[in-house]
Amino acid sequence: MTSLAKKISELFTKDIEIVEVKPKPYSNPYLTGIGLGLVLLLSFVIMGRGLGASGAMSSLVAFGVQTISPEHATSNEFYKEYIGDGTTNPLKDWLVFEVLGVLVGGFVSGALAGRIKKRVEKGPKISKSKRLLFAFLGGSMMGFGAKLARGCTSGQALTGGALLNLGSWIFMIMVFAGGYAFAYFMRRQWL
Amino acid sequence: MKNILSKLSLNQKLGLIAILLGLIALVAGNPFDSNEVKVNIKDIALSTVKNSDKIKPETLAEWLIEGKSDFVLIDLRNPEEFEKYTLPEAENIPLVTLPEAELYRNQKLILFADDNLRAAQGWYILKSKGFKNVYILDGGLEGWKNNVLFPRLSSNPTKEELSQFEKKKAIAKYFGGQALTDSGKVETKPEISLPASSSQQKTAGAPQPKKKKREGC
Amino acid sequence: MNAPFFKFGYFNTEISLVIAFIIGIAFGFSLERGGFGSARILAAQFYLSNMRVLKVMFSAIVTAMLGVYYLGVIGFLDLKLIYMTETYVLPQALGGLILGIGFVIGGYCPGTSVVSFATGSLDALMYILGALFGIFVFGEVYPLIANFYNSTNMGVVRLPEALHLPYGLVVFLVVVMAVGAFALAEWAEKKFAFRNPENEK
Repeated sequence: MTSLAKKISELFTKDIEIVEVKPKPYSNPYLTGIGLGLVLLLSFVIMGRGLGASGAMSSLVAFGVQTISPEHATSNEFYKEYIGDGTTNPLKDWLVFEVLGVLVGGFVSGALAGRIKKRVEKGPKISKSKRLLFAFLGGSMMGFGAKLARGCTSGQALTGGALLNLGSWIFMIMVFAGGYAFAYFMRRQWL
Repeated sequence: MKNILSKLSLNQKLGLIAILLGLIALVAGNPFDSNEVKVNIKDIALSTVKNSDKIKPETLAEWLIEGKSDFVLIDLRNPEEFEKYTLPEAENIPLVTLPEAELYRNQKLILFADDNLRAAQGWYILKSKGFKNVYILDGGLEGWKNNVLFPRLSSNPTKEELSQFEKKKAIAKYFGGQALTDSGKVETKPEISLPASSSQQKTAGAPQPKKKKREGC
Repeated sequence: MNAPFFKFGYFNTEISLVIAFIIGIAFGFSLERGGFGSARILAAQFYLSNMRVLKVMFSAIVTAMLGVYYLGVIGFLDLKLIYMTETYVLPQALGGLILGIGFVIGGYCPGTSVVSFATGSLDALMYILGALFGIFVFGEVYPLIANFYNSTNMGVVRLPEALHLPYGLVVFLVVVMAVGAFALAEWAEKKFAFRNPENEK
C-alpha cells in the first residue's frame, strides 16, 4: 500500500516541477529600447504628442479631489487645470487611457514571459515592511518632483529627450545626478 | 570588410548603424522650414483653375457671423494700416515677414490686403512652402467694403436682389457698416474699426477653447 | 506633409483615446520586456551593476530622435505641430533632482511602477499610492510655490537653438554621446557584475 502511495505522490511532485514556469530572461536592452523608440515615434506621427505617465496620476488625483470636494478643487489653480470647465471628466484624458494600456501591456508581456508573481522587490538586507515604506516615500517624492518638472521620465526624459527639448535634457541629467548621488544612502535597501 | 562586419556582435552592429545615421544627419539639413524651397509650379498653377483658392467677402461675413473658428484671417498690410481698420479677429503679418511667420499647416489661412495683389503674392509664398489650405479674400478690403460694409442696391433691382439686399443690410449693420440705396458716395472711412481687431486673437491652432486640453505629461 | 495625423484632423478625440490605449499597451509591453518591471533592476542602475535603464532609455531616445529628424527632413512630419513643453530651468532641474532621489528610494518611476504593479509587485503598488499622495501634496501647497513653479521660463527651446548649432549636428552629437555611454555601460556591468540582480538565480 505504502509503495503505491509513494508512487502516486512521486507522480504529483514530478508534475509540479515541470509545471513551475521558469521566468525567461529579459530581452536585449538595445532592441527593447529601439522598440520603445519606435512606439514613441508612432505616437509623434499619429498624435503629434509623446508618451507620459505622471499626468495620468495627476488626473486621477484631480478627479478624486473633485469628487470629494468640488469647491476645494475649483478654488485651486492646480486642480483647475485638470478639471477644466467642469464639462468633461478629468479621467477622459489621453494619458489616462494610455496608462491603462501600459497596465495591460505590462501584464501581457509579463504573462508571456512567466514573470507574473506576487512579490515585494527588495534587496536581501532589508525587511519587507521597510521596503514598502520606502516605496511609498520614494513615490511621494517622485510625484512631487514630477509635477514641479512638468513630467516624469516617460514624458520629459523620453519624449522631450527625443525632441531635443532643452528643459527635458536638463531634467534628465538631474534625475541621473539625484539617483547616483543618493544611491549611497540607499545601499542597504538594494545591495 | 565583410569579415569585420560579420565578426561584430549584434549590439556593435546596432551602434554602427546609429553612428552612420548620425553622420548622415550632419548633411541632411534642417527638419524645420527653410527659406529655400522646392516649388511644384504645375500644382500651384492647377490650384488656381477652379477658383477654389478664393473666398468671397460675403462668404467670409457669414462665417464670422456664424462664429466659425476653423480659419485664420491674416492681414498682410503694415501695422499702421492694420491699426486703423482691419477685419474682425484678423492677425497682422506684414507680407515681408510672411516667410518666417508661425503658421500651422493644418489650419485654413485666409489672406487679405487692400486688394488682390498682395494677397496673391502671399498666397504664392505659402503655396511654395507646401501649405495646402491657403485662400485669398476676393477683392481684399475693397471688396469687403463694397460687398459687406456698404452694399449697394442697383437702381432697378429685381425682386430677388431686393430680398437679398435686406439680408445684406443686416450683415452690414452687424459689421458696423451701412447699406446704400444708390449713389451714396462713400468717402467717409468707416471709423468703426471693431476694437476687437487689435486685441488678442490667438485663435490660431487648437480650435478647442481652453477645455483643459492639456497635452502635457 | 500630413503628419501628425491627429493634428490634421484625420480622426477625432474619441478615436484618439482608443489609440492612446493601444499605444499604451505597446509602451507597457516594451517596458516589461526590457526588465523594467523589477525595482531591483531599476535601482541597480545607480549602483552601476545593471545599466538597463540607461541602455533602454537612450536607445529609445536616439531611435525616436532619428525618426523625427528624418521624417521632418523629408517633409512627411511637421515638427512644429508636435507638442513640446516649455523650458522652466529651475523647477525642472529641482524636480529632476527630487525625482532622481525618489527613484533610488522607491525603485521606480511612474511608468515602470505601473508595469511592475501589473506583474504583481506590492511595492510598486505602494509606490503608486505614494505618487498619488505626492501629487496631492503638491496640489495643496501649489498656491505657496506657484511663483517658483512658473519661474525661469524660457518658452519652447530646443537644444540646437540653445547651443546655436544646426539641428543635424546636435543629432549627430547625441548619437555619439549615446553610443559612448553604451560602451561605458557595458564596461561598468562587467566590472560590477557581482551585484547585478539579473545575474542571480
